[in-house]
Amino acid sequence: MSERMSWVPEGVDTGKPSAARLYDYLLGGGHNFAADRELAEKFLRAQPNARTIARLNRAFLRRAVLFMMDRGIRQFLDLGSGIPTVGNVHEIARKADPEARVVYVDFEEVAVAHSQLILEEDPRAAVVQEDMTAPDAVLKAARDSGLIDFSQPVGVLTVGVFHFVPPEADPEAVVAAYRDAVPAASYLAFSQFTQDLQPAEMAGVVEVMKKSQNPMFPRTKGEIEGLFGGFELIEPGIVPLPLWRPEDTNTDDPDKAGIYAAVGRKV
Amino acid sequence: MELPELAARWMNALTSTAYIPLSRAEIRQALLDSLVELPESPESVANRLVSLHATGPDSLRVTIEVLSPTFELPLLARLSSAYAQAMRMDAFDQQEQIKVAIVRAKQRVERTLKVSQARFQEVFESSALGIAITDFDDRCVEANDTLAEIVGLESGEDLGARPLIDFFHPEDAAALGVSYRRVREGRVDRFRDQRKLIRADGEPVWVHLAVSLLRDADGAPTHFVTMVEDISELHLLQRNLDHQLLHDSLTGLSNRQHFVTQLERQLDGRPITLYHLGLDAFSVVNNGLGHETGDKLLKIVANRLRAVADEKHAVLARIGGDEFALLTTSDNVTTTVEEIQEALTEPTFVDDHGIALSASIGVVDRPPAFATAAELMRCANAALRQAKARGKRQWALHDPHDDARRRGKYALAASMPGAWEHGEIKILYAPVHGLETNEVLGAVARLHWDDLSHNDCMELADSTGLSLPIGRWLLREACAQAAAWVAEFGDRAPTLHVGLGALQSRDEDLVADVKRALDETGLPREKLRIALDISSVLAGDDNAVVLHDSGVVTALDGFRGGHDELAALTEVPVRAVITRAPAPNPDSPLRQAMHDLIATVHSLGVRFGVDEVHTATDADHWRAAGADGVIGLLPALTAAEVTDLLARAASPPPAAS
Repeated sequence: MSERMSWVPEGVDTGKPSAARLYDYLLGGGHNFAADRELAEKFLRAQPNARTIARLNRAFLRRAVLFMMDRGIRQFLDLGSGIPTVGNVHEIARKADPEARVVYVDFEEVAVAHSQLILEEDPRAAVVQEDMTAPDAVLKAARDSGLIDFSQPVGVLTVGVFHFVPPEADPEAVVAAYRDAVPAASYLAFSQFTQDLQPAEMAGVVEVMKKSQNPMFPRTKGEIEGLFGGFELIEPGIVPLPLWRPEDTNTDDPDKAGIYAAVGRKV
Repeated sequence: MELPELAARWMNALTSTAYIPLSRAEIRQALLDSLVELPESPESVANRLVSLHATGPDSLRVTIEVLSPTFELPLLARLSSAYAQAMRMDAFDQQEQIKVAIVRAKQRVERTLKVSQARFQEVFESSALGIAITDFDDRCVEANDTLAEIVGLESGEDLGARPLIDFFHPEDAAALGVSYRRVREGRVDRFRDQRKLIRADGEPVWVHLAVSLLRDADGAPTHFVTMVEDISELHLLQRNLDHQLLHDSLTGLSNRQHFVTQLERQLDGRPITLYHLGLDAFSVVNNGLGHETGDKLLKIVANRLRAVADEKHAVLARIGGDEFALLTTSDNVTTTVEEIQEALTEPTFVDDHGIALSASIGVVDRPPAFATAAELMRCANAALRQAKARGKRQWALHDPHDDARRRGKYALAASMPGAWEHGEIKILYAPVHGLETNEVLGAVARLHWDDLSHNDCMELADSTGLSLPIGRWLLREACAQAAAWVAEFGDRAPTLHVGLGALQSRDEDLVADVKRALDETGLPREKLRIALDISSVLAGDDNAVVLHDSGVVTALDGFRGGHDELAALTEVPVRAVITRAPAPNPDSPLRQAMHDLIATVHSLGVRFGVDEVHTATDADHWRAAGADGVIGLLPALTAAEVTDLLARAASPPPAAS
């Protein structure tokens, strides 16, 4: 009784900005509040290219999902899916195959409630409220959803979210737990902020986010490589967002992309 | 500019301002369609742009820049206006959506809270533990019915707003206050304790307490949670177990261990008296009427003794099968002994058997303060043995001096069987001198163990039950030795005298033992003299008569000249009596009396021998008084030494100087 009862969740407090709604705002969405926009403006001052980075990150998600669809993946686990804004995984995937199944995972109340609103009538997509850094709980919920068959290859997506995982959460173990839960030929799509590109702006962003509910932990290319144990990296490896298999000639400046992207295949 | 080229330029401009989740080909096609449609319906184009999510902050600006060379300003103005309107509507939609999401999220949180609260209530209400949530003013904010039950109230609400401390035992309040404070100050996470609560009816109840903190969402402490487990039943069980460990299950009295503990507690210089009771002839009841009857009798005895003890505020215990102990203070021993006997004498009927009861009692009265409980118990026991030796319904006061002697003897007796087994007890042969001729008449076989005399050895052997086997061994060994001397020296071989202990003298197998010894060793029976303890004859035993009838010459040892002894001599055919007495020297007023006694014995046809005569002077006095023979003038010799003497001397050893 001395501990707070673990089954009582945090209250919903719209006065506190959330990273999910900040991202929505940067993408031009309207699913955000004054506090989110205020934080976003600070973010933009530290990293003026933030809108482009958000767009590029979202575009990478699309390309990664389509790439996996092309490689036969028909079920996705989207970790830290956030606010369902433009170009959600199930919408992208179903253009290639209407049978594709998706389980979204997020911990934030409003993001989850919002996702439920959108997915209410959808038998092949669901959202579960879990912390992605607690793989056992996430995997159990995913199994319980009945949407993911872990005997078949799974597309695990952690796009623009892993920079919220602190070192003390043991990131390698977290990725390894998902890797171990899926069969060979499964894929991992990964993108996160790095200090390798625009270190000054990155430091500014880290400073802005430090006091928020979602402090950020950028990682070097080497650190990200360390997370891909047990995966073989798909060409072109770990690269700035726009350089990962662009649709045609890239026109964006990779040095200002802020985020590394990569896709690995479980061996 | 051709429309497809324009569409491509538009796409490149737009996609750098907003994320459009479509392939470039799809986007280009959508924009080409829009260009075709634009002159007719700029509003449709605006809606399409917004639905494509071409809604970045710069999306409209780049659109106007790309399209303005090709399209008229009024058309672009209409497009801009419709775009703004579509954006507004889209924003409203999104805001509406997010509001619904917020409401949903809140509802879910509330639902979860409700569920968790319901779970908490369920745990709270159905818990077998009493639970109280108190604020820092010690008021019960909430308490469950279990707690109410523990403290003897109707429901948890009855505890409402009452200070929890009201229910703590006053002696515990201060210490518990400190413990609560330590929890509140975060010095410990929680504390557990075993304490007494005071029920509403004033009765104490033993509880386990577990106390910890409740904190608010920011982690600041707000309340105490006190969990209370009623362990009174456990406590009673524990006490019951303790009771079983300290009490006799049959009578419910304290057991020996408990009694000794209580005795120790009272050894502080108080004038205590310790009574050790042994029921007389209880084994007769047990063996004759059965153990069940015996048990019933013991219960009756316990109850009667309890009445005596209660009246005296004495401690009573059953410390052995038929033994009880009573501890009193400032007591009159004779009165208490009388009261005990009176209580027991009252006729007792058990299973239709009328049983008369009495006890032998050993008493230790007002022992010195330095005595230990164990010593007192042993002394009381020794006194009880003394009392029992005197017969039934006797009591004896512990005599510390007597006890020391007894203890030395017991220690010796205890080591006797081992000594015998290891050959430490030897047979020596002491010459018997005829006073008339000053010749050696024979040899007395004697036990010898360290510096103990034969008589001491026999007495010890009697007290250990060893006297019979040792006596038989002595008889047989000595006969064998005497037979060997007869074989070697013929007539010159000494006549064997064997003195028997009191028990062996009365042993019903004695005659057979003697016969067997003679038969097996081949010793002629005229070469054997058996000295029986005179107590056997006085007790009416006929061993002396039967031995005489068998042709064995007997003597009676331990003669003291009593009337009963002289009377026995008239009835039992014995050759001699043997006495131990100071030599009747000429100055002694008893000289004449001894002279007369010896004359009387002689008149009965019985010879008079004296044991333990160690000097020639004494021997002379005895000779003068008329005695026939003495033992002890020369030290006893081993069989080999005797053999050696016999071999070397044609004549018997000279008299002592």
